[in-house]
Amino acid sequence: MGSADAPLSPKVPLGALAGVFLRIGNLTFGGGNPTVAALQRELVDNRKWLERTQFALCYALARMTPGTNLFAFDTAAGWLMGGWRGALLCVLVASIPCCLIVAILTAFFDLWSGQRLVAAAIDGALAASVGILLASFWFLVSPYIAKTTWVRSCVIVLLSIGLSFGAGLTPIAVLAVSALVGFFWKEPARE
Amino acid sequence: MSFAGLYLLMLKATLSSFSGLASLPILREDFVLKYHLLTDRQLNTALVIGRTTPGPKGLYIISLGYYSGGTPGAIAAWLALLTPALLVIPLLLLAGRKANHPRVRQVLNAIVLGSAGISLSATLPLAADAIHTTLGYVLAGGSLAVLLLREKLETVWVIAGAALITLAAALISRAM
Repeated sequence: MGSADAPLSPKVPLGALAGVFLRIGNLTFGGGNPTVAALQRELVDNRKWLERTQFALCYALARMTPGTNLFAFDTAAGWLMGGWRGALLCVLVASIPCCLIVAILTAFFDLWSGQRLVAAAIDGALAASVGILLASFWFLVSPYIAKTTWVRSCVIVLLSIGLSFGAGLTPIAVLAVSALVGFFWKEPARE
Repeated sequence: MSFAGLYLLMLKATLSSFSGLASLPILREDFVLKYHLLTDRQLNTALVIGRTTPGPKGLYIISLGYYSGGTPGAIAAWLALLTPALLVIPLLLLAGRKANHPRVRQVLNAIVLGSAGISLSATLPLAADAIHTTLGYVLAGGSLAVLLLREKLETVWVIAGAALITLAAALISRAM
């Protein structure tokens, strides 16, 4: 994989860099994956500010960073393109507007939710959110359900359900147990 | 709760999860069950708001922070989202070449699977709070089916569709 040392291209104009992350980070719906795909098209293919290997490294390490993968990706890519200034700039312009939108919607949500018809619409949205959570569970697990890996994956998932729902362990304790199982139970090679 | 307290609680959740919604069980445990800063309904509402806006899936934490502590709570949530992101830089510097070590990857994969199981466990009580009618169950099941069949469909359309259906049902009920 590519180098993770000093910024790749110190001459990336910070203004243009901010514009790319401001636009793509705050106008893309669907979560982190579509946003990262759009950033790849812009940073690697169109503007050539990043090499493909650098982009892949940012993506892989962002997945290993706790919290919001997309913000970690923005930080990593910004660091490679502009050092500390680039890292902070990218993550700030990609996060502040969309977080503001969420806060404003939340503030007005209570004003709207008292009206009967609005409350009915909200009930539908909340019911849909349950389906979305279930779908998210499947999309999270399905990449690990392969011919040689499904047993290991199912055991870890069922164990975590049992420990959290049945035994009442805290999520952090369950994650620690999952990590231990993952450490000692070697992941089979995929066919 | 103080600004620092809210920030630290949310930071605990964001540092303990590796994907957008994986922090949900930890946040529910602290904000709903332990400190009673939120109800399950507010948590559900935060999820709806977070899924209907641009940006990453984890932005529901901003709503959660706003419900818990107003504007300062939302700012604390934003800082709690950003703080772990900065950890990627030392990873870039120190561990970039070890990122593909098989043992490291298998531990991280196990953590992702564990977080999926925890998320499913947390979904059940949320469902109990959100669904009270037959139509609610149909919408939840229908949303799941639509998303499984149309993976590229954005969730904002699923939420909008479900909201329109219940709105139409309410209008029909009112007219009758």
